[in-house]
Amino acid sequence: MSKFTKAFLFASIIFAPFVANAVTVASWGGAYTESQKKAYADTYSDPSSIIFENYNGGLGETRAQVESGNVTWDLVDVLPADAITGCDEGLFEDISDEIASMGVPGPNGESIAEDMENNGLNYHSGWDCCVPQIFWTYVVFYDPDAFPGEKPDSMADFFDVEKFPGKRGIHTWADGIIQKALVADGVEPNAVPTVFANQTGAIDRAFEVMDKIKDHVVFWSAGSQPLELVKSGEVIMAVAYNGRVGAANLAEGENFEYIWEGQVLDQEYLCLTTGAPNRDAAIDFMMHASSPESQAEQAKYITYGPMRASGIPIIEANEPWGPGGVDIMPHMPNTPERLKVSIVNDPQWWSDNGAEISERYSAWMGN
Amino acid sequence: MEDCISTSALLTTDGVPLKQSLKKAERKNKLRAFLLVFPLLLFIIVTFVMPIGDMLFRSVDDSQINGVFSNTFNEYKKWDKEKDVLPPDEVYKALFEELAYGEKIQIGRALTRMNYSKSGWKSLIKTTSREIKKAVKKDELPKNYKEFLISANDKWADPTFWYAMGQMVNNTTPIYYWNALDRTYDQDQNVVMQDEKRRIYIKTWIKTLKISVYVTIFCLILGFPVAHLLANLPLRYSNLLMIFVLLPFWTSLLVRTTAWIVMLQQNGVINGILVWLGILSDDGRLQLVYNETGTLIAMTQILLPFMILPLYSVMRVIPKSHMRAAQNLGAKPATAFWRVYLPQTIPGMSAGGLLVFVLAIGYFITPELVGGKDGKLIGHWIAYHLKTTLNWGLCAALGAILLGVMLIFYWLYNKIVGIDNIKLG
Repeated sequence: MSKFTKAFLFASIIFAPFVANAVTVASWGGAYTESQKKAYADTYSDPSSIIFENYNGGLGETRAQVESGNVTWDLVDVLPADAITGCDEGLFEDISDEIASMGVPGPNGESIAEDMENNGLNYHSGWDCCVPQIFWTYVVFYDPDAFPGEKPDSMADFFDVEKFPGKRGIHTWADGIIQKALVADGVEPNAVPTVFANQTGAIDRAFEVMDKIKDHVVFWSAGSQPLELVKSGEVIMAVAYNGRVGAANLAEGENFEYIWEGQVLDQEYLCLTTGAPNRDAAIDFMMHASSPESQAEQAKYITYGPMRASGIPIIEANEPWGPGGVDIMPHMPNTPERLKVSIVNDPQWWSDNGAEISERYSAWMGN
Repeated sequence: MEDCISTSALLTTDGVPLKQSLKKAERKNKLRAFLLVFPLLLFIIVTFVMPIGDMLFRSVDDSQINGVFSNTFNEYKKWDKEKDVLPPDEVYKALFEELAYGEKIQIGRALTRMNYSKSGWKSLIKTTSREIKKAVKKDELPKNYKEFLISANDKWADPTFWYAMGQMVNNTTPIYYWNALDRTYDQDQNVVMQDEKRRIYIKTWIKTLKISVYVTIFCLILGFPVAHLLANLPLRYSNLLMIFVLLPFWTSLLVRTTAWIVMLQQNGVINGILVWLGILSDDGRLQLVYNETGTLIAMTQILLPFMILPLYSVMRVIPKSHMRAAQNLGAKPATAFWRVYLPQTIPGMSAGGLLVFVLAIGYFITPELVGGKDGKLIGHWIAYHLKTTLNWGLCAALGAILLGVMLIFYWLYNKIVGIDNIKLG
């Protein structure tokens, strides 16, 4: 190799990320981003024009990019509370007109918004800047082999250490667990968000329920830990992201059971950064990624549910939908009957109260 | 010769006073030296001084929201809380106007800020804004702004929201520092303790300091003999030993942290061995991870090389003859070690101790993973507010306090040991 070729190769490695005029998508990494690549990018008209970058959630980096005027992420994959804050703060661009006119309609002509409403969601300002992705949930799971006799099947069982003695695995932040506590206390799952929003003392009530299991808890902080905790027998059941449990069941031959009652459905959005360098191409990709077909396609690779209601019938009609001829529906969190016993998280309430509750939760954990 | 000495001003050969000529030469040298360090200076200013300055500025800055609601806040300051339960009509009117005609994005940012002072501001302003926009669109300006806002959302009749507004009516504010110390304002802007259920920061500060001190002490206790061995073994053994020190040092932090989880968990290696040996009963397994103990153990191991390496480099150059001489002169081995060897290792201990302490006090990822219920340090809260709540003011205040604590320790250290006594090799 001549000196020149070497120099050229070196330079092309260094500058490659800046030369390509590709849409950059910041997402969470791991199996989730893999599924996005396969379901959205590989099925896109020009797969090579989409580049995924990993980030760790939150709006910190997006805000820094927008404030400094040096935007490198065209699209960011965010949680609903961040979608709302980002859209209100102008970190994400309001493209409600584009979403309404260019969004891919469902088989019966449903718009993106109608499809989401059919899934039990209510409009929030995040919908103006972002398109829907998937439902993921905080679900309780257990290894049936650990329960030779009666098996737990409700939130009341999860919070009852006398009926099912043993440790529980829960996460080190409040979201997901305080809602389950209310379900264990007899609140209808669907009513939990309104109870939190309208009843004073609802938070105290949830913490009182959690006090009952506090001495029987192992706290986890990374998504892979609850699976490890249950596998090793350190805890008898744990809260986990349903996609992780699904992957263990489908790919690693585990036989975990879910307790769908009281699962907390949370949303995931793809948002357009203000000042995105490839704005138009990014919007085009957003529309592709939010079509019912793409959303159903994603369920092949990770067991998170399509946020557009018309994605579910596509999976149902084409079972076995999973890789290697397995059925996916048993692992989908948002089938109509599971939605009846689920809590659909209210991101507006969380963006109002999240900081206070997480301080309180940490104080509770540490005491 | 005598003439020369007696002249008042010394001259160089070309007749210029020596003093002047020296100054000139020195100025040239100074300029050259300055130009040489200039890139470094620039680098330090851009990457160090400016970010820290920005951080300190952000920790007291409240100008964004004051730009958005300037009229409202001006009117608000005239409110006599003794006399009226709710603010006067002018406040409602100014708020109405600023919400109706303000820039949406600026208001959005202000909302994020308002929510720090009291939960619920965000949705309160948003629902109100919607009503205001509707009224403005229909060209129906209300006759009574107070009634209009209260009918749009009854929280406007709740004085606690108005009291919370008092936290943000000035361009600069110390509130973030108070928040970082579990304190807040009451309705009259007096500093009071935060609601008991939310007090978390002071506890975390104390824990951060405690764990950092413990980690430093444990590292010293464990690192000292290892460094001594490294410095005194014959080369072929010490090289091997050095690899054992460096290998974990080169291994990814995440790998080492997760390895500790495998070791320490209740069904993990250590508990398994203890149960197998009969020291523990099967249901008496120790909780060694996902709490403070886990953080302490994992951080000690991970930071150990930062203690061993400076210690080693100092010990290596201490002549062996010193110990022999001391013993020759009649000192017992312990005395010789204590009076002759140990004082010479102080530069290494200082360097290692300071390194470990400084790294430990701002540690994030390890406590995050093994910390579980009560092993998380202040870095956790800085990251949380940076990313999740976007409360960069509080972030900056936490960071500034951390910086202050570090400077205090540095000052103490300089007083007690002396900063010249530090040596990295």
